[in-house]
Amino acid sequence: MELRSYIIRRLILLIPVLFGVTIFIFGITMLFSPIERASLYVTDPRQMGNLQAVIELYGLDQPFWVQYGNWMGEVLTGNLGWSSVVSMPVWDAIWHFMPTTLELGIFATPIIIFTGVFFGTQAAAHKDRPLDHGTRVAAIFGWSLPTFWLGLVLLMVFYGYFTGLLPPSRLSVPMELLVNSAEFTRYTHINTLDAILNLNGPVLLDALRHLILPVITLIVVQMAFIMRLMRSSMLESLGRGYILTARAKGLPERVVVNKHARRNALIPVLTVAGYLFAGMMNGVVITETIFTFKGIGWWAWQSAVRLDIASILGFALFNAVLFVLVNLVVDILYTRVDPRVRLGGTIQ
Amino acid sequence: MSDWKFMVRQLAKNPLSMAGIIIIFIFVIIAIFAPLIAPTPEGHRDPYMIPRDGYSATPTLPSEEHIFGTTEGQYDIFYGVIWGTRSAFHVGLVVIGIVLSVGLVLGSLAGYFGGVIDEIIMRLTDIFLAFPALILAMAIVAALGPSLRSVMIALTVVSWPSYARLIRGDILQVREEDYIEASRGIGASNFRVIMRHVLPNAIYPTLVMASLDIGAVVLAAAALSFLGLGAPEGYADWGQLTSFARNWIVGPTGDPLKYWFAVTIPGLFILFFVLGWNLLGDAFRDILDPRLARR
Amino acid sequence: MENIIRIRDLAVRFHTYEGVVHAIDDLDLDIRQGETLGIVGETGSGKTMTALAILRLIPYPGRIESGSIAFFDRDLHSEIELLKLSEDNMRSIRGNKISMVFQEPGAALNPVYTIGDQISEVFLLHRRRLLGKRANEQVDRLLRDGDGFAAGIKRPFWRWQRRLYNKIAQESNPFEPRFLSHVPLFRRLLWRLKNESELLTVDMLKDVEIPDAARVAVHYPHELSGGMKQRAVIAMALACSPELLIADEPTTSLDVTIQAQMLELFRRIKVEKGASVLFITHNLGVASEVCDRVAVMYAGRVCEVTSVEELFLNPSHPYTKALLDAVPMPGKDLQTIPGQLADPLNPPAGCRFHPRCPSATQVCQQEKAKLKEIGKDHMVACHLF
Repeated sequence: MELRSYIIRRLILLIPVLFGVTIFIFGITMLFSPIERASLYVTDPRQMGNLQAVIELYGLDQPFWVQYGNWMGEVLTGNLGWSSVVSMPVWDAIWHFMPTTLELGIFATPIIIFTGVFFGTQAAAHKDRPLDHGTRVAAIFGWSLPTFWLGLVLLMVFYGYFTGLLPPSRLSVPMELLVNSAEFTRYTHINTLDAILNLNGPVLLDALRHLILPVITLIVVQMAFIMRLMRSSMLESLGRGYILTARAKGLPERVVVNKHARRNALIPVLTVAGYLFAGMMNGVVITETIFTFKGIGWWAWQSAVRLDIASILGFALFNAVLFVLVNLVVDILYTRVDPRVRLGGTIQ
Repeated sequence: MSDWKFMVRQLAKNPLSMAGIIIIFIFVIIAIFAPLIAPTPEGHRDPYMIPRDGYSATPTLPSEEHIFGTTEGQYDIFYGVIWGTRSAFHVGLVVIGIVLSVGLVLGSLAGYFGGVIDEIIMRLTDIFLAFPALILAMAIVAALGPSLRSVMIALTVVSWPSYARLIRGDILQVREEDYIEASRGIGASNFRVIMRHVLPNAIYPTLVMASLDIGAVVLAAAALSFLGLGAPEGYADWGQLTSFARNWIVGPTGDPLKYWFAVTIPGLFILFFVLGWNLLGDAFRDILDPRLARR
Repeated sequence: MENIIRIRDLAVRFHTYEGVVHAIDDLDLDIRQGETLGIVGETGSGKTMTALAILRLIPYPGRIESGSIAFFDRDLHSEIELLKLSEDNMRSIRGNKISMVFQEPGAALNPVYTIGDQISEVFLLHRRRLLGKRANEQVDRLLRDGDGFAAGIKRPFWRWQRRLYNKIAQESNPFEPRFLSHVPLFRRLLWRLKNESELLTVDMLKDVEIPDAARVAVHYPHELSGGMKQRAVIAMALACSPELLIADEPTTSLDVTIQAQMLELFRRIKVEKGASVLFITHNLGVASEVCDRVAVMYAGRVCEVTSVEELFLNPSHPYTKALLDAVPMPGKDLQTIPGQLADPLNPPAGCRFHPRCPSATQVCQQEKAKLKEIGKDHMVACHLF
């Protein structure tokens, strides 16, 4: 089957890229001293007291290739080292912090995509008219906003000025206690989802209230990007021959824009979706830091500032793998959305 | 080239691009005349380190002495944002300059010669692009030790792949054009063909991206500084200044916006700087749109 | 001889950055019922714009500035002034009573939808009542013939569907916004309409001689060859049996052998469907194959209009003569028309052709020539007559 062989082909091509990625990441570690690097190989806190033994054990003063081999061996068995910042193995840390980031992502992504696509389409359909200009200015403005500043200002206004209206961190104290108590079952560690599953209204509302500002901070920049991209893609699409045909068939303008133009315009936007994901990770680091959402981004920042090598590398590796997989998914989706990519050849 | 004249005329007509140009111009003036606008006090060695008026942790409100007030630690905000303009230009122009050159060279090689060279360079860019920019930059800065220079190195490393890719793409397109065939047919060397024909035509979208990216680079540098991974404490850098405000977003009850200046002012400088470049880049992009009816 | 289209004093101008472009100026043209009228001219003569003007699809920054285009509607037995119609009414004419075939079939078809989808769209848009009726009949048949346990369960659904499709079969205005049809789920309920439209589509594809029509209908445009694509586009245009078919250089982008087949198809359409055809081309040879009458255009104006035989036997306008002379013949030196095409931004005063005309006189530089009858059904716009 076409699709299966395509996926297999892509996955195979993935390997050299992942290979390169790991070499690159590891190469960065070479900039650190052996002692610092020793934390990469540690699996429990007691070893931290005797790093010299670890250095000898893993040959951290040996040539690059030997070390790389050792490290890869460790990584492939699931040992990504010890995160001094949060006092747990890196592997555990990733899974521990993931739900928080996931929660942000679940809310942010659909909003970004739907509003971005919608406004981009409308801007293109009403080119050079007030809506277009307005959207454009808003988009440029949004794109220019420093995410961290936006977060701070939002907090300043909605937490400071409107005292406590939309506070930082994931849950307010009483809810936090409730969520960790026996009365509340943790299925996914995603607050909103768990609240629904527990049929607990107050927790749900509280979680949502705490989500509003971080999600806004996260989406503004991405939304602007998607809007602009969608607009130019739509303009390109609207200039094509099949649009004239569609109009010549007597189709209402609404159908011409939404059915014929938009579907074609979404194709290039989809390919950029991978970059959207990357942009989100950037935003997530800053957003989680400002709003004290202890997710992967927050962990990454803590590790970077406190020079927790194992965490930094674990995070970078995790990110790289995820990014590569997302791109693969996007490529596959691409073949589904654009019929020209799927099959080829002519019928006589 | 009458193309340039047309472009300049279009730029002038568009109110958004004019706004962008004016904004950038203002910042350029500020950067050039920084020593006059915010003179370094006597005996202060490094003009890029913001002078401190005491060591109290509470920011002071704007006053005659400190026009924009001071941050936590009594760093003069006015001085900081004025000299911060210089830092911003420094970081933006250096990074983009290097990135453009590296990207141009590698992208041209990949695009023009294709084959193995192309594959290698593309795989290389794949690897770099597999990281979200900020994360990779964070890792590099952490490895090199936080400083503005590390930030610049990190941002260079992170940004060049997109340019190489872009230029390669443009060259691939231009390469197939007939006039390239023609000039090779009359015996022009590869180098000459690249320099005289391929590059000038491929370079416009790159310029668009570059001008937009100066803003993006400064934003990223500010973010890194904000996170504590960039300029050292007290350095005249906008992101750095904003990080001081983290503890002061909410003032005492009854006057929650008391320290608004500590948060808002450095951020506004960043915003407008980036906005100016974005407006310009956006206008560029619209002008270079091939669909615009010209002749 | 009834005229299906009567164009008088049409002017189409484009307001561009560099100035005003006169795409069409003072155009007078008649298309008669049942005839195939060809418009011949060089690129930039305004041929395509004339076609687009009829359908009111002139792209921005162009505008129809003045004139009238009268369309004789066979069903309504009356003349409609197309330029004064509301957009809604215009839309009910496009693709339905007047339809168009474009030059590049590859560009004309939307790459993300199947051929069948794109043709069905026309039926679903303009023939809802017919589809409703047929769907109704389909459900009737089920109610009559269906028996067994399954049929017993489905019976109430069928009865309800019959009522639904009956209602659609009686809809008066296909464009009347029906609130429910905007709800996406509701559209799914009308799946029988889609079925029926697909049947009609396959019939249409067979009509234009596409082999294995049912299979082709589920394929995408890029999977078809150029000739097949153009046939599909023609099928799309003929779906609702239009009274006027406008074909803008339909054979230009195809190879010669396919071209011959295509022209044969057009001849067949002429005979079988009885539609009037406006055939635009720059190729005199092609025009002579399909057209009954030919109009020659230059710089946005009509120079000469007559039957195709008369045009070749007795070309009167200097431009027509020059065009015929310019056709390459073995043994003859290549003849060209001296000078350059009229600058659309700054056209010559008076007769547009006068700077290149060997017989130009003083009058030609100052006054436009109007179409005059110089023989039986032979009109020329030239001061020489």
